[in-house]
Amino acid sequence: MKKALHNPLAQYLIALADDELILGHRNSEWTGHAPILEEDIAFANIALDEIGHARLWYELAADLIGEDKNTFPDKQVFFRPAQEFRCLQFVELPKGDWAFSMLRQYLFDALEAQRLKGLMESKHKPLADVAAKINNEEIYHLRHTRAWVTRLGLGTDESLRRMQAALDELWPYAQALGAALPGEIELVGDSLVPSSSKTFVSWKKEVSAFLKEANLKTIEATVHEVDRAVHSEYLGVLLKDMQEVAQTEPEASW
Amino acid sequence: MSDTQWSRFMVFQQAGEGEPLMHNGTVHAPDIEMALLNARDVFVRRPDATEIWVVSAEAIYSRTREELAKTIARSAKHDEAIPKPKLEDYYVFGKLSEQGQASQLGEVEASSTDAALEAAMEKYKDRQVLRWYIFPVSAVLKSKPGEAAPMFAPARDKTYKDQAEYPVVTMMRQIRATGHLEEDK
Amino acid sequence: MYGADVEQVAIELNEDPQKLADFEARIARGEKIEPGDWMPSEYRRQLVRMISQHAHSEVVGMLPEGAWITRAPSLRRKLILLAKVQDEAGHGQYLYHAAETLGASREDMIDALLSGQAKYSSIFNYHTLTWADIGTIGWLVDGAAILNQTMLARCSYGPYSRANLRISMEENFHKKQGQEMVILYSQGTLKQRAMIQDAITRWWWPTLMMFGPHDKDSPNSGVLIRWGIKTRTNDELRQDFVNQLVPDLQACGISLPDHELRYDETSGNWLTGEINWEEFWQVLKGNGPANAERMAARRNAHADGLWVREALAAYAATHN
Repeated sequence: MKKALHNPLAQYLIALADDELILGHRNSEWTGHAPILEEDIAFANIALDEIGHARLWYELAADLIGEDKNTFPDKQVFFRPAQEFRCLQFVELPKGDWAFSMLRQYLFDALEAQRLKGLMESKHKPLADVAAKINNEEIYHLRHTRAWVTRLGLGTDESLRRMQAALDELWPYAQALGAALPGEIELVGDSLVPSSSKTFVSWKKEVSAFLKEANLKTIEATVHEVDRAVHSEYLGVLLKDMQEVAQTEPEASW
Repeated sequence: MSDTQWSRFMVFQQAGEGEPLMHNGTVHAPDIEMALLNARDVFVRRPDATEIWVVSAEAIYSRTREELAKTIARSAKHDEAIPKPKLEDYYVFGKLSEQGQASQLGEVEASSTDAALEAAMEKYKDRQVLRWYIFPVSAVLKSKPGEAAPMFAPARDKTYKDQAEYPVVTMMRQIRATGHLEEDK
Repeated sequence: MYGADVEQVAIELNEDPQKLADFEARIARGEKIEPGDWMPSEYRRQLVRMISQHAHSEVVGMLPEGAWITRAPSLRRKLILLAKVQDEAGHGQYLYHAAETLGASREDMIDALLSGQAKYSSIFNYHTLTWADIGTIGWLVDGAAILNQTMLARCSYGPYSRANLRISMEENFHKKQGQEMVILYSQGTLKQRAMIQDAITRWWWPTLMMFGPHDKDSPNSGVLIRWGIKTRTNDELRQDFVNQLVPDLQACGISLPDHELRYDETSGNWLTGEINWEEFWQVLKGNGPANAERMAARRNAHADGLWVREALAAYAATHN
């Protein structure tokens, strides 16, 4: 890989990591409050996987820019201000009700599944390897969240009402999943990462059909914001909480 | 509508290739697909599974050695004039030791659960079975071999769940010896 | 009750003396009582009470620690804490299953918890005020739980014995991750040292209370020991715990909030001051610092989840 592409690829990976971190963080908020005990266990597992993925992407980024992979992830997570994060507003939104969280997870998992197909083909072998490892977990996540979306869509009037409300809220934010990630433009040509717009087209086709079977309607939506540098008001609040303890003693080992 | 914690499904797990499946516990789930997913999340959190099965608790026919001793006097009388119902395959599991869980013994073919139990007691008469579990093969949902990686590999990577990851013995030794921890961690 | 003649016990409990004698002989032989086996009603009743209480404790126990997942100060600690809390849900799940084998329904057990009828371990009615509380809970509270669970793994009732075995295997990681934190922070920055000292000061006595009343004040113990449900007394376990923790905590430079704490050469035991039993009974009755909060959280989760449970039951009914 050309040296000039190290930095763009690192920025790309940090954005992926930021998405996983914030979504995993949101999901972890359900622990102890899920609708049934088995889901406390299952959804915590998904959160664990995602935070684990975030760590893997940060470590990969660290290797590309000469940072210490043992300390770089925590530095990114606990010591960057909100404006330096590159996650989508889609993952920043509060967890909402169970319908909202399940639907958001499904939409995200479905996109990741498509994107990982491309990433597993990356010419940068370490990236392809990490993608393959993550893919194993994502296959399972998708099976889990698809099962939930179907059941909630086709369950009761109440569950359908909530799912439709969740979809109405999430769909505009989800359109930003198709925007190029930081650094992507320089990377696609060298087969290092797949094209986000192509990934998005596959994703849209798949999820539209799936949601329809679950009795859910998607509306043509204008996306709120595609720039990953522009965040919702929720991120600042989330980070203040997340970074609180670490920042009381920045030099300490926790 | 009444609120429930959903139905119970029994979970069987295979710890390694070629080993018999063992009864592990139960999960609550609304249907058998969710039961399989829940079973994976509840029971495969420590990395030791190659296959899992789930069966609705209602589909399982169970008898202890004691219970059987009381009813053994009855003999299976078959009236040849009555057409026999269709034969079905049944899985047979048995609890073989005091502390153990039921483990897989094999399969029998029979026309009812009672007949299946009798067939099992004959086929496995050399095993000391403390309690029998019989259920139709058709009632089981299994994890597929091709699914093994997504189902079971992820748990193995979560090394932070391993108590060996925490060097507390070494840390205490250092503190007792020198009054502080060594610099590099 | 413990040493009484079986005939006498049978009369007291209104059970068939022969059946009771056979049952007790099975236990004496080291056999496990399994679901479906004959058992005195009192055995079943005591076990359902104990096991469901144990299950409730695991589930409620997710809350004080779960509250800190979002604030864990490193990715590693975040993963560890999330995994630990997930384990606790898993333990609750194993335990409810063990109680179900005795004929209890999970619906009824949960209703009993949420209505305030059923008890759970008093330790979870205290607040987690700082991050250092998380390490403290791991070493102290889970350390105490391990002693209890190791004993219960030898319980005469098969499913409960096996549940405790499985739990014990997983609990070791809980204790060690906590111990690692306490040791690390006790040797860390001034702020960290102060934080961990404060946490231990607040959690020490409540942890000792976890082992329950003194033996002489424990009404259930006699029959539990007679039938192999418990094999060690509250005071015995509590003494083991104190002997394990005191030297290690002191080696870390942490002082214990007990002026009367002293080592007794003859017995080889660390002797503590008297526990504040008034506090213990108040917390058990529902007047602990966080009782209301814990129950509210569980009631809300249950109520908020109703539409979900109903939706999936409805789907299953129409798609089978």
